[in-house]
Amino acid sequence: MKLIQMTKPSSFSEISTKKIIQMNDVWTSYDSKDYTLKGINLSIDRGTNYAIVGKSGSGKSTLLKLMNGMMIPSKGIIKVDYQTPNMKNKKFKVMMHKIGYIPQSLGLIKNITVLENILVGALPRLGTVQSLFKIFPEDEIQEAKKILKLVGLSGKEDRKAYMLSGGEKRRVAIARAFMQKPTILLADEIVSELDHVTAREIMNLIADAQKRMNLTAIMVHHDMQLALEYANRVAVIKDGEKILEIGVEGDKIVDFQTGNLSTQEIMELYSDEPKK
Amino acid sequence: MNQKNNLIVGIIIALLVAASINVDANPLEFIEGLPNLGIVAEEMTEVEPKLFETALWSMFETIQMAFIGTVVGVAISLPLSMLAARNLNSKYVYGPVRAILAAIRTFPSILWAILFVIMVGLGPFAGVLALIMYTVGFVAKLQYEAIEAIDSDPMDAVGSIGVSKWQLIRYVVLPESAPHLLGQMLYMFDYNVRQSSILGLVGAGGIGFYIINYIKFFEYGKVAIFMVVVLATVLIIDWVSVKIRDKYIIKSQHGMEVSAK
Ligand SMILES: Nc1ncnc2c1ncn2[C@@H]1O[C@H](COP(=O)(O)OP(=O)(O)O)[C@@H](O)[C@H]1O
Ligand SMILES: [Mg+2]
Repeated sequence: MKLIQMTKPSSFSEISTKKIIQMNDVWTSYDSKDYTLKGINLSIDRGTNYAIVGKSGSGKSTLLKLMNGMMIPSKGIIKVDYQTPNMKNKKFKVMMHKIGYIPQSLGLIKNITVLENILVGALPRLGTVQSLFKIFPEDEIQEAKKILKLVGLSGKEDRKAYMLSGGEKRRVAIARAFMQKPTILLADEIVSELDHVTAREIMNLIADAQKRMNLTAIMVHHDMQLALEYANRVAVIKDGEKILEIGVEGDKIVDFQTGNLSTQEIMELYSDEPKK
Repeated sequence: MNQKNNLIVGIIIALLVAASINVDANPLEFIEGLPNLGIVAEEMTEVEPKLFETALWSMFETIQMAFIGTVVGVAISLPLSMLAARNLNSKYVYGPVRAILAAIRTFPSILWAILFVIMVGLGPFAGVLALIMYTVGFVAKLQYEAIEAIDSDPMDAVGSIGVSKWQLIRYVVLPESAPHLLGQMLYMFDYNVRQSSILGLVGAGGIGFYIINYIKFFEYGKVAIFMVVVLATVLIIDWVSVKIRDKYIIKSQHGMEVSAK
């Protein structure tokens, strides 16, 4: 009887929608000798604002690249919406249309305009001929302009991407990801190099969209302060291992997955030059 | 300078002398021959002005040949360069395409011209075909190297959206390599104008056809007139392409440098 209950639509949908990303004992290496990530276990709920924090070289970018199939683990299991991320997997390739990925370097196309960079996010919805001749349907152009306004770039749509400031470039990259109508947003240290005010403007932008679209945002941060401020959950990576996972609610830390540390100790754990 | 350098310079001079004797290159003959240029200059003033008109017209034909050769050649080389780029294809695709391109490049345009004169007969069309072949061989190589040098970040970022290869080419590869392409077209056009002055030597049309005929009949004054027209044209094209380069290429590259910071 219990088994039959399990397959009821209501309980099925509850199970299938909750976890969006799962990693089970994941190991990766770039050069067969050494492991970059060592036995990562992760479980991210749909709609979470998840932060990954760690020193430079600890493996944060690698962890992010596993989530959209740009890297394949040497060992372990990864599921993104119950699919194994791999660019060669046809089913996953369709899912990639709705995974917004913003690399540390942003990956904008320098010689085309801001609007065209944003419209790139709509390419999966376009046919071959339409995209070869840059014939975007009117509703896609309207959508792009709406997003352009949302990220605060109105009036800059015809500017070439290389002419923008660092903050503006990040807004374009975010807009391109939004244009994908994403269910998952992966962002790699996109506010690390920005001043305090601009960094928060951009974080607010993502936080708003995340709530509105029930987006799962997974953001790599350099700054623990910023992570605690915006994320529901913060994972700390050190030398390729997840050493800590913190649940955050408002300004309170609500649970630890490992360890028994004070906020002060967490901050110090992360800081690049540890205080003695 | 130390002992070793002296020895190297000594060896180079010895080789130079030996090679000159072998090929009968005598500097004295060169100096003795200089006054002959004066005779040619004198002959130039005796040529009737109507010849000048002929020279300009045949130069115009040459420029048109170079133009067609460049545009068609670049158009053909673009898809080939996409196939030859290692970052867009598997080795089973780029390997053979590269081999074909290397084979095309092995022949200088004058050999292609001879081949096409045999195929389609004497005249400018054979010259145009030769220029196309030469342009394809070179521009495709320059272009696939430019494609391979494209920043991998936009490739990865746009690739991770799961777009098709066509879309990747249209939205990343083409715009990111376009500044190089314009530079290559200018370079090739310049080169093709010079080349098509020579292609006439094998009967493949253009100004070279007149030059070779006057040489055959020892009419060096007339030859000189035609050479002056070629020189002037090449200088003008050079000047125009510097202007175009400044306007479109330097500007966009400068922008890239700024953005890299
Ligand atoms: N493409 C690569 N090839 C070889 N090693 C790499 C490559 N990318 C990253 N690594 C190495 O993997 C480790 C983790 O890198 P990364 O994930 O970029 O760290 P983070 O983003 O935390 O700074 C580093 O030691 C780095 O040198
Ligand atoms: Mg990184």
